[in-house]
Amino acid sequence: MRLPSIRSFGPTVWGIGLFLILLAGSAPRIPVFLLTLIIGLLIWATLAYSLNLITGLTGYVSFGHVVFMALGGYALAYGVGTLNLPPVAGVALGAVVGAALALGIGLLTLRFRGVYFAIATLVIAIAALYIVLEVKELGDGQGLYLNVGFQPLAMFYTIWVILAVEIGLTYIITHGRIGYGLRSIKSDEDAANTLGINAPRLKLFVYTLSGLFAGAAGGVYAWNVSGAFPYQAFDLGFSLQMLAMIVIGGMGTLLGPLIGTVAVYLPSQIFLTIPVLSGLQAIVIGVVVVVIALFVPGGIVGTLQKYIPEFRGILE
Amino acid sequence: MADAALFIADLALGLLLGCVFAVVAHGLNLIWGVAKVVNVAHGEFIMLAAYGAYFLNVSLGFNPLLSVPIDAAIGLAAGLGFYFGFLHRELRGKESMGLQSEMVTLVATFGLSLVLINTAQTLWTVTVVGIPWSPGVLVLGSIELPLGGLYVAILSVAIIALSHVVLSKTYLGNAIRAYSQDIPATQLVGISPTFIAAIGTALGFCITMAGGALLTVGFPTGIYPAMGNRYAPISFVIVVLGGPGKMWGSLVGGLILGVIINVGQLFVGSLSLAYAIAFLTLIPVLLLRPEGILR
Repeated sequence: MRLPSIRSFGPTVWGIGLFLILLAGSAPRIPVFLLTLIIGLLIWATLAYSLNLITGLTGYVSFGHVVFMALGGYALAYGVGTLNLPPVAGVALGAVVGAALALGIGLLTLRFRGVYFAIATLVIAIAALYIVLEVKELGDGQGLYLNVGFQPLAMFYTIWVILAVEIGLTYIITHGRIGYGLRSIKSDEDAANTLGINAPRLKLFVYTLSGLFAGAAGGVYAWNVSGAFPYQAFDLGFSLQMLAMIVIGGMGTLLGPLIGTVAVYLPSQIFLTIPVLSGLQAIVIGVVVVVIALFVPGGIVGTLQKYIPEFRGILE
Repeated sequence: MADAALFIADLALGLLLGCVFAVVAHGLNLIWGVAKVVNVAHGEFIMLAAYGAYFLNVSLGFNPLLSVPIDAAIGLAAGLGFYFGFLHRELRGKESMGLQSEMVTLVATFGLSLVLINTAQTLWTVTVVGIPWSPGVLVLGSIELPLGGLYVAILSVAIIALSHVVLSKTYLGNAIRAYSQDIPATQLVGISPTFIAAIGTALGFCITMAGGALLTVGFPTGIYPAMGNRYAPISFVIVVLGGPGKMWGSLVGGLILGVIINVGQLFVGSLSLAYAIAFLTLIPVLLLRPEGILR
């Protein structure tokens, strides 16, 4: 694979890079409560970019992404709690579990198109919850508690590296042959097949990659909340939140998921701190998703590109 | 011998349960067949119907069978609202759904489902409630069947049969079936596509919500805000099993799923594993017979 040269980087890439480097540089000096907030933001950004890989780039809507996140979290909790691995190795285990699961699920379900794929992923996610409830090693429906203490800096740098690699890979994929292939699949899969694009292999590749990052992010999430608990981990609201982030930010773009994460995550954290509003957070996110999906199909980035020509060269 | 009796009892209960599942899925099937749209918030409308039956029971003392027509009427209104709120913009003037429109409706109805669940949680808390109504049991030899379940099963089959008669014998039903087969041809003979799509969607919601009221009878299901997470996948699997748009498919699919869940529970020894197995039958069916098991 030929890598894009540094000269070809647009302002978006430099902007995201600068943002990440500034975060990494200032992390040790940031007060702990703010750092926890940023860790949450980075975890969700990783999840949003992960869903963007499959749903944003190929147009296959995955409702069941939460399954990779949840089992990545269980992998970390099991690896750290039972196998006594260090947490970072647990995150790696989560990534491996996520990728393996995505490979398996993808082999079976990626041949279904449109609605059928979406439903299959949704049904698999719910079935996975029912199965996990019955597995003794995974806490027998009670979940797994972790006892590693709170390590904000280690957590921050782990998720930072994962997100940086993920954004880099998204850039490389969208600017190479694979990106052209994926875009052609998104607009017309039959035509893409006719042109000699190996659609099944490309889809499986991005889906596996997507599962890998979602598993890793789920691992860090479980590390952050000190355990994996079935009903919280498999909450379909997580799937919606990821979808909300890329729908609001702009599907299939490089900057969209990051903007969407900030636009969804920060307000929802503010909602959570106000007792009267804490129950309404999910309702508001849902309403915003409905409105954006129906009336603003491009999300923030797509709309800016459409109506302000100057942004077309800058945003990607 | 005792095992055989247990098996037969579970089989019978599974068939009864399957009838209710069938009617719940039948509503989804109709919307899927007519508007070519999958309503991801399907389960939440079942939940709303169940709460409707519950509140009618608490405030007016209605038994769940009496709330069926009321829920069905609410379903008609909800279906019209759903059509004009969510589908009209995507369906209007189109001969078929593109992938882009499909994605829009999937994402929007997924958003709607989370809005409804969380609104229900805010209004009615997460406590599981139920309707205490049991008309007794029917004893057939060594098997005891709950009469409530039997009534519900009969009513369910009646609803499906009625919808079948409406769709195949009336002018409106023929128009709906024509629309689901060929939209331009329907327009050529002077049928308004918007009217038919709206009525078809409303009928689907009507059946779904009637099924939601039936679900509250006799079975150990319980009414809670997230109950849709159980019945929506069941409905998806049933519709795919029977084949989207095939009207008797829902009944066949429902009976199969009811038996898998009840008899499966006997074999694997846990209800949640039985549900997982029932859900995952979707994958082999989609792989081997994507058009459904009926010809």
